[in-house]
Amino acid sequence: MQSSATKLQFEFSNSSDALVTSLQYMLGHITANIPVNADADDLLFRSKVIITELLTNAIKHGGEVSTLFDIEITANSLNLKKTDHGTPLYLVSNHKHSSSDQAENRKLISADPLNLLYAYWENENAIRFISEESSIEDFLSVEQVMEHFGILIITRSSDEFTYTYHKDTSSNIFKVRIDF
Amino acid sequence: MITVVKEGPKYLVADVTITEANLSNSDQFKAELIALLDKHHKFIILDLQELKYVDSAFLSALVSALKYAISLQLDIVLVGLRTDIRDLIKLIRLDKVFKIYNYAEDALFAVSK
Repeated sequence: MQSSATKLQFEFSNSSDALVTSLQYMLGHITANIPVNADADDLLFRSKVIITELLTNAIKHGGEVSTLFDIEITANSLNLKKTDHGTPLYLVSNHKHSSSDQAENRKLISADPLNLLYAYWENENAIRFISEESSIEDFLSVEQVMEHFGILIITRSSDEFTYTYHKDTSSNIFKVRIDF
Repeated sequence: MITVVKEGPKYLVADVTITEANLSNSDQFKAELIALLDKHHKFIILDLQELKYVDSAFLSALVSALKYAISLQLDIVLVGLRTDIRDLIKLIRLDKVFKIYNYAEDALFAVSK
C-alpha cells in the first residue's frame, strides 16, 4: 500500500474475507482527507456504497490477479479507479461502436418499474453509465423489479461512472467521480 | 442468520443476527428466508437492527425473497434499518416495494389491522 495526503493506492486480494476490512481502510483514508468544502456525511455515504459495490464486483469478476484501487481527493472531487484483469464487461465485447450514430451508441441495459439504466458507448471500449427513475410506479409489480443492483447503485451514487476495457493490457478500468 | 423471536397467528417477527450481509452470505440468507415462508406461511417482519453493512447481493436476495412471499400472497416487512442502509434502499427506490417501519411494534400494528 502507498498513501499520501490526497492519493491512495490499495491492492485488494479479490477475497470476500477481506471485503469489510478493505472497505474500512479506504473509507478511513477518505474520512481523514475530506475537504472543508465537502458535505462529509454525503461524501462518506456515497463513497461507502460505491466502494462496497466495486469490491463486490472485484470478488465476482476480478479474476485471480488482485485488483488495484486508486483514490484521489482533489479540491473539487473524489476520484476512484478500480483496475482488474478479469473478463471484460459483456457490454463491451458485444457492441459495435458507431462514430456517427448517437442513438446506436446508447442502449437501455436494464429497465423495471423503478429504474432505468443506460450505457453510452464513448468509443468501442468505453462506456458511461446513466440512470433515470422510471415513471410507471402506478403499474408497479414486484415481479417486474430487477434483482441486479451493483451498476445502478454506483451510477446513482456518483456524478460520473465509466468503464473502459484496455485491450493492450487486458485490463478493466472502472472510474467513478463524486463532485463536492 | 435469521432467528424467529415472536410468532403470531398471521406473522413472524424475525431478527437478522449477522452484522455484515454481503456476497459471501446472501445465498444462505435468501435460503433461510424462503424456508421460513415455506414452513410457517406467514407474513415476516424482518428486524435488521444488527446489520451494519449490506451490498447489492444482499438486496438482490431480499427482493428475490419478497417476490416469493408475494407469490404466496404473503409479505416481508423491514424494520430497524440503520440510516445508511435505509438511504441505500431509497437510493435505488426499493422503498417503493418494501414496507418499512422504524420498529417491529409499528409493523405489527400495521399488519394486524
